[in-house]
Parts: sequence; structure tokens; C-alpha cells
Amino acid sequence: MPEIDENRPLPLREVEQLVELVRESGVGEIRVRQGETEISVKARPEVPATPFGNQVASGTQVVPEGVESEPSPEMDGLHAVRSPVVGTFYRAPAPGEDAYVEVGDTVSAGQPLCIVEAMKLMNEIVADVSGEVVEVLAENAGGVEYDQPLFYLRPDEQ
Amino acid sequence: MIGKVLVANRGEIALRIIRACRELGVRSVAVYSTADRDSLHHELADESVCIGPPPAASSYLNVPAIISAAELTGADAVHPGYGFLAENARFAEICERVGLRFVGPASGTIARMGDKAEARGAAAEAGVPVTPGSEGSCESVDEVKRVGAEVGYPLVIKASAGGGGKGMRVVETEAEIDAAYLGASREAGANFGDGSVYVEKYLERLRHVEVQVLADSYGETVTFPERDCSVQRRYQKLIEESPAPDLPEDVREGLMAASAELVGSLDYEGAGTVEFVYADGEFYFIEMNTRLQVEHPVTEMISGVDIVAEQLKVVSGERLVVPKDALSPDGHAIEFRINAEDPLRNFLPQAGLVEVYNPPGGPGVRVDSHLYAGYRVPPYYDSLLAKLIVHARDREASIRRGLRALDEFAVSGMETTLPLHLAVLEDEEFRRGGVTTRFLADRELESEGGLLRLTRT
Repeated sequence: MPEIDENRPLPLREVEQLVELVRESGVGEIRVRQGETEISVKARPEVPATPFGNQVASGTQVVPEGVESEPSPEMDGLHAVRSPVVGTFYRAPAPGEDAYVEVGDTVSAGQPLCIVEAMKLMNEIVADVSGEVVEVLAENAGGVEYDQPLFYLRPDEQ
Repeated sequence: MIGKVLVANRGEIALRIIRACRELGVRSVAVYSTADRDSLHHELADESVCIGPPPAASSYLNVPAIISAAELTGADAVHPGYGFLAENARFAEICERVGLRFVGPASGTIARMGDKAEARGAAAEAGVPVTPGSEGSCESVDEVKRVGAEVGYPLVIKASAGGGGKGMRVVETEAEIDAAYLGASREAGANFGDGSVYVEKYLERLRHVEVQVLADSYGETVTFPERDCSVQRRYQKLIEESPAPDLPEDVREGLMAASAELVGSLDYEGAGTVEFVYADGEFYFIEMNTRLQVEHPVTEMISGVDIVAEQLKVVSGERLVVPKDALSPDGHAIEFRINAEDPLRNFLPQAGLVEVYNPPGGPGVRVDSHLYAGYRVPPYYDSLLAKLIVHARDREASIRRGLRALDEFAVSGMETTLPLHLAVLEDEEFRRGGVTTRFLADRELESEGGLLRLTRT
């Protein structure tokens, strides 16, 4: 929606041109300022991910609700290590053994963090950056889906 | 009854299966790629699992991911829908091995009917008429020439593992065989990983008719009145109707009996479709699809049978209970495939944001679709957006209903095949009924005052 200075006549021609420009260029937003008038034209906002709100309550997700829609830790400079496969998440190399990593450990890139078992195949998931383990996001021996965040790491300062 | 079904598909067919599960009180598990996070099948299923990135090979065709998702969610059965893994014998075999019930026939049956040359053999063995041609696949150019001398020209060379017109060549004279054999074989190898081909007499003015079948594990087989799917573009069906217009009653009975014979000889279980060509009063077997088909709703409308629900009952070990009157057509039904393709630009696939979505309603109208306003059509999968099915007391009334419903159907944000369907319904020859598979190829599409029109070339 355009935001326009109230005291001036509406510069509808310009708005029209901007709308056309946004549509043609495919960019998300164009903002123009001239004197005290600022016009901002945004492309139609993304539709909410849940078209049927009531369905969410009845659906149980394998992933805990809200994991994907919580961008804040990543905005804090944290790095998410995500599962490359669908499978069962194990924090230790074998039952009864110590976990690969604990919160607070420092890991280097390439170091194993966990196992995701898929069809009897043990997939070792390694850290793709060096840093500190801040949070373990999946539950031991629980299911994880493709692209699900497993750990938050705080990458080392370069 | 089974307790939980994993739906190994996306789009409208995943929704169709989830809906059947809900009505039967069966829990459903959706699988989806990262491109389908905002998809309705992901929203409407009881549970859902993300199985991979957008490309189908890494998600909807990713067998380990799908089997793992079934194990994690404790599903008892897998419904493959159509396309993707639906006719993949290896996938069905893996399901069998890990104790998941595959909604469909046994893997051995899928493999056997998946080989088109072998399927021809099975049909001939069951006493079903097959197009004159080679027995099994043709190993050499000389074999093709021998068949040509026997059954006459034109011939068509087809890929044994094929479908959809790939690995297919029509030859008018013997001189053309060498090049066509090589081309078909190479194309078959590239597309299906199997270069073997077989040969049939090429029938030019033919109709495509097919028979829906259902079979349970107790040897009971039901065959439904035929569907006519002759309106095609490059071997892709666009409009399907049932019953086939102007089909003599004895031909209908013959088609249904032949299909029952073939299916009975296969130890078949679940839903399937036996496809035939029909020309000059004769019908010939072409292939059998061992899965649910896109156009199954046409049969559902004229029979009142929920084919997907029957599939789920059969896989649960229940007996088929289909009332006798479901086997003679009640009225007439037509299905239109609304694809995200631009009819005026060589059916260029479209992707993008659906701005407005307003499907038609009213009596005798059914829409199977995964669209909603604000949905973004991803560019990775097939272009089917919606299936519009209309049902009325006879063909004329269902054509009028189709015109009304197509006119009401509003989708904006991309070009679709909606205007093409309107043009087909206005075509005189289509209205008379009984068009051949050349129908669209023999016509040109013209734009006239915002509407499309078909003119004979």
C-alpha cells in the first residue's frame, strides 16, 4: 500500500507507474522519496503458510511447531546445522556411549555432531562451521525430517 | 482396517487420498518437499514429514526418505497415487520387504505389466485382442521388417518400457524402418534405461477407450463402464468422459469382459486400468496401468463408487462390495484437466502466484484441486492445477454443464487450459461425439475477442 503525505494531492500517476514497475520487475518493494512525499509500493505480501488455521491444531508435526518460523537465533549470528535426510536422530555413536557433543563444547568444521539413521544406514552429521555448540534442537532417538535444524552453533570469529 | 496411510505424492491426488482416509477414519501422513511447504496436502494430513529438496528425484522419488518417513510415523500402508513411484516395481518390492502394505498390486504384477511387450503377451494369453504386431520385443531391424510384411504398413515402433509417446516412431514404408528402429531404441534407452522396442500395426483413426477395474484379494474382480480419453495433445489426455459416446452395447460388453479376463488371469489386487484402442468397430489392448489414474473421478461420478476408498479397503484385506447397479452408467460425466500451460504459446508451462481462485459450484460439479488464492505454483512438478468433473443425465446436458462450470472457473496469475476446454466444447465434431485421438492435432487454435476457437486445418 502506498504511504503518502496527507497535505499534498495524491500523486496517483506516479503511484500507477511504480505499481507497474514493481509488477514488471518482480522486485518485492520500491520506495521513492521526493521532498516530503515518500511513496512505497510493495508486491502482494506472501500469503500466510497456513490457509486453514484450524487444521494446524489437529495435525501433529514430526517437527516441533515453530522451529522453522523462529528466525531469531539465526539472526543472532547463530548457525543451524540441518538434517540432510529423514531418519532417527542419535546424539551418541552407539547406545550407552557418550554423546558426540554437549552444549558449550567447541567443535571444528568436519567434526561429527550426531547420527541420523535412515533405513539402517548411519549417517554421521558433521559440523559445517567451527564454533561453539549453543543448543541441541532435536530429541535423542526421535524422528527428524529433511532440513530440520538439529543444532545451533555460534561460529568462531574470523 | 489399516490404521495409518502414508501418501507418497503431492498436489490434487495427495488431497484426494487424504480425503478418502478421513472419511474412513484412517490416519494420513503427508510427505512433502521444501518447495511444497505451503501445500494443502501438507496442511490437511494428520501428520507430515519433509522428505527432501525440490527436485522430485531427491524428494517424491526418494525411496529411502519415504520409507524412513513411514517408519518414523508408524504408517501401515503407502498409497503412491499416480506418477512418481506409482508404477515402480522396485519401490513396491521394498515396501513389501519392510512390512509396509503397498496400495496396489504385487511388485511382480507391476513389473510384468510395466513391460509393454510382456503385457501384450499376457493379454493375448488371456484371449484379449491385441493390435496385430510382434510377439514380445523386436531384437533387430529384420524382425521389424518381417512383422511389417505380415501385418502391413503403416507400423508403429514403441518402447517396451515406455509411455507418453517417448521412444515411439511411425513408419509408412519398409525403407523407413532402419532409421526409425534406431531412433526409437535410442530414445527408449535414454528415457527409460531400457532400449527394447516392439512393433504394432499403426491404426490412424482411432479412439482411446479404457476400462477401470477393481479386484480384491479373494479373487473378486469388478469392471466399470468404459471411459473415452480421445481428446489428447501429444499423447497427454486433456478431456475424459464416460460412457464413451455412441459406443455399441456389444462393444461395451466386450471391453468389460476382456478386461475382466485379463485382470482375472493376473492374480490382481487393487485398482487398475486396461487401455484399448477402438477403430472400425474393433478394439485392441494397448496397455494396463497398475495404479489409480488421473481420470478416475469420471467413473466415480457415473457409478457412485469411491474408488480410492475401495483401494484402501482392499489393501486392508476387506472384500469388495460394489452394488450391481454401479456397473451400468448413471448419466454422463466429463473431466477437464486444468493445467498451468499457455495454450497460445505451445502449452508453455506456467508457474507463480495464484492471485484469484474461484472454482465453480452448483449441481453436478466436482473440482479436485490443491489450489487456493495465494498459493504459489512451484516450477518443479507437473502442470495439473485442477480437475473439473461435471455430471448430468446425458452427454448433451453434461456438455452444457461443462460450459457453465468452465465459464465460472476463475484462476488468475497464470495462463491455463481453461479457454482451450471451452473451445473444445464449442467444436461441432466434439459435440457430435466419438472424435479420434487426432482431434486436436487436426485443428488450429485461434484467439478471437479474448476467447479461443478451434478451426480444422
